[in-house]
Amino acid sequence: MQTKTEIITSPRLGEAYRQIKHSSGLEMRLYPMQGFNHTYALFATKYGSVDTCFKTGEDADFVKVPEGVAHFLEHKMFENEEGDAFIRYAATGASANAYTSFDRTAYLFSCTENFAQSLEILFDFVSRPYFTDETVEKEQGIIGQEIKMYEDNAEFRAYFNLLDAMYHNNPVRIDIVGTEQSIAQIDKELLYRCYNTFYNLGNMVLCVAGGFDIETVLETADRMLSPAKDITIERAQTDEPKSVRLDYIEQNLPVALPLFHIGFKADPAGERDNVKNQIMDDILLEIIAGDSTPLYRRLYDEGLINSEFSGDAMSSRDYSFAVFGGESRDPARVRDEIAKEITRIKAQGIDPKLFGRYKKASYGSYMGIFGKVESVASFMLSAHFAGVEVYSVTEMIAALTVDDLEARLKVSFDVNRSSMSVVKP
Amino acid sequence: MAASMTRAEIGEKVFFSHIPDPKFKRNLVSINFIMPLDAATASDNAVVPYILRKGCREIPDFSDFNGKLAELYGASLSAGISKVNGWQVIGVSLSGLDNRFALEGEDITGECASLLAAVALDPKLDKNGVFDEKDTELERRFILDSIEAEINEKRSYALSKCMQAMCAGEPVAVRKYGTAETAGLITARSAAQAYRNMLKTASVEITFTGCGDPSTAKDIFTREFSKVKRKAPGFSLIPLRTTADSVKHEEEVMDVNQAKLVMGFRVGDVTTDEEQYAMRLCSAVLGGTPFSKFFLNVREKLSLCYYCAANYDRYNRLLVVDSGIEYANRKTTQGEIMRQIKAVQDGEVTDEELANTKLLAASSITKSTDSPSAMESWYLHQFFRHGSKGGEAKTPEEDAAALCEVTKTQLVEAARRIQLDTVYCLHGGEEGEGASDAN
Repeated sequence: MQTKTEIITSPRLGEAYRQIKHSSGLEMRLYPMQGFNHTYALFATKYGSVDTCFKTGEDADFVKVPEGVAHFLEHKMFENEEGDAFIRYAATGASANAYTSFDRTAYLFSCTENFAQSLEILFDFVSRPYFTDETVEKEQGIIGQEIKMYEDNAEFRAYFNLLDAMYHNNPVRIDIVGTEQSIAQIDKELLYRCYNTFYNLGNMVLCVAGGFDIETVLETADRMLSPAKDITIERAQTDEPKSVRLDYIEQNLPVALPLFHIGFKADPAGERDNVKNQIMDDILLEIIAGDSTPLYRRLYDEGLINSEFSGDAMSSRDYSFAVFGGESRDPARVRDEIAKEITRIKAQGIDPKLFGRYKKASYGSYMGIFGKVESVASFMLSAHFAGVEVYSVTEMIAALTVDDLEARLKVSFDVNRSSMSVVKP
Repeated sequence: MAASMTRAEIGEKVFFSHIPDPKFKRNLVSINFIMPLDAATASDNAVVPYILRKGCREIPDFSDFNGKLAELYGASLSAGISKVNGWQVIGVSLSGLDNRFALEGEDITGECASLLAAVALDPKLDKNGVFDEKDTELERRFILDSIEAEINEKRSYALSKCMQAMCAGEPVAVRKYGTAETAGLITARSAAQAYRNMLKTASVEITFTGCGDPSTAKDIFTREFSKVKRKAPGFSLIPLRTTADSVKHEEEVMDVNQAKLVMGFRVGDVTTDEEQYAMRLCSAVLGGTPFSKFFLNVREKLSLCYYCAANYDRYNRLLVVDSGIEYANRKTTQGEIMRQIKAVQDGEVTDEELANTKLLAASSITKSTDSPSAMESWYLHQFFRHGSKGGEAKTPEEDAAALCEVTKTQLVEAARRIQLDTVYCLHGGEEGEGASDAN
């Protein structure tokens, strides 16, 4: 396979980046940013906590894996026969890390010098799995403490309890780190199977942004990466009812005020449509209860919310939801008021002034992404997995109409498909 | 390469600093009032930025004001309180997209500067010069809630409790929002009084960071401050105790799954720049990197925790180590932390460890040049170092270079001055007195 390069330009920004399909099969998104002193690289696989049942074209049967495997694998990738990848990075001065989310696992570093050496380390350790019974057991202790840390994190609990309430079967409802019981079931054979399925260069992407040189990336990739085996990945589909599993869920933890999350479950669409839906949901969250709306004012003046109140939408793969969250002495009242406002807007239509205002704010927020190295790389990663090109997102926003948002509001903010999660003292 | 920072005194102890960089796409304007951290005034001062952020005399309505910000392409206004050493920093800032991305030729940068100046210097006050009662009541409650919500985040709560136990009686122990008792006493009148007091007496740092033209901001703030009759005494860092008498132990029981162990250390007399750099590097070697002594031993070798970090507070000259652990393992963890400190004191630091720590630390310092907010906070910290007497502000590059000059001998000398002062542990209370310690 030949390496293929496409240059994507933005007249609006006066900038350009490269979309490259490397001869190994790896997709690359390379965005040199003039004047920036550091570089941020993300090497990611389309494999996250929601991938709990899968097979490759070569496997006879689907495997159902315990909760938290993708995250466990992420921890274990840092270690091989020669020791710890962090120790190797130490000699380059790069700051390295990794994270696992619902739909991806990403290995990353940022650096101000020795970029080529750091990239070489990144390619090398992510390409060479090494798991033994002893190292798996050792990691169970460390991740056990990470799980406990999250168990005490009220914000985190309120959010994951909400997903547990909204979804019946979709694995988005499980904790990304798993549980002490689930990670105890993990062994090296299972880690190899997950690795061999998802850490195929054809299922991965490299996104780099900042003060680097494109040639260095290509030269390092040519040297380090072998062509990937051509495999197909099948993910078992879960049958998810439209309804929410629970209308309400609560947990007691030592917190001052009750923390709440109110979620609205929507139907997922294709990956590309999910991007547009998420943008529309983000704007709708503002139109319903953004800080210049009548509802926000009412809730604030009555002391039902404080400045911690905010909204967040997420649409990816096979889930789509929008969430309001904050602190309140009376979360039930907040929920009622939000439901009433949604019903009112549906009946009376969206205020064109609010629409114009928040569309402009959304444009501003997406343009702002291009001023920050980490944000550019992360945005390219999300866009790639969603099958869109980053500059097209601002054009998507520019093209939105009130009609688009009213149509979306009808399906994405259904008060009969909502749940509330409360963590209270 | 960006042009260098420029700084001018535009009023008595009112400084306007321009931190330019053409690569940024947003501009950030901030105003910070630096006041003595005092238990009697902390809560009244703390509520001020939260009342100010709700509008100004010209746009008094909160919703209209927020609407205006949204129309400026989502300009983002933040209000906040922080504390540095024995000083309370009351800040309001506004970040907006640069003019070159405006779709209809709006002067976003100029409007943001005017709005911020209006929020900070021309607030809505009634005819008696008092804040709005309703606004004050809501924000008073927010301050009270924020004080109570300190228990929500167990790690920061534990760190703050250790600091309070360690520095009891010193000005730095006063909490940034004050206490529930003092916050309960906030009134529209007392808050307005606190506001007027800071307007007259605080040292003020105004910064403009970004690619845009700072002249509107500089002109407005110069003009507005010329109307204020000021008498500002200035500020300088307050020295804390440098040595520990005996080790204080404090435990607290809460319904938590994971115990939080925090160990506070005094670091002796750190007076010269060289000693300061040596102590910063010493903290990084101990627990500031993923190849540090604590990470490799407490986490990787003994699997005792997910995190074990060392942080050096360069203003207060304190070193704090914290870790999330099983309560039953606390003595083992504490023992291992002390063993690693001892190792550094005994000179067990390889040239490679030292070189690698410098490389990572230098890189993380240089990286701040790529973010407007990091650059703003960089220079604010530079100004803090010298206080009102003024002095040279180092660029991140100069600071990184100086850090890399630290020798192993200086590092070991720094480590030898470290003395344990306080051990604080927040836990679920099930393991008795730690009798079931692991190992």
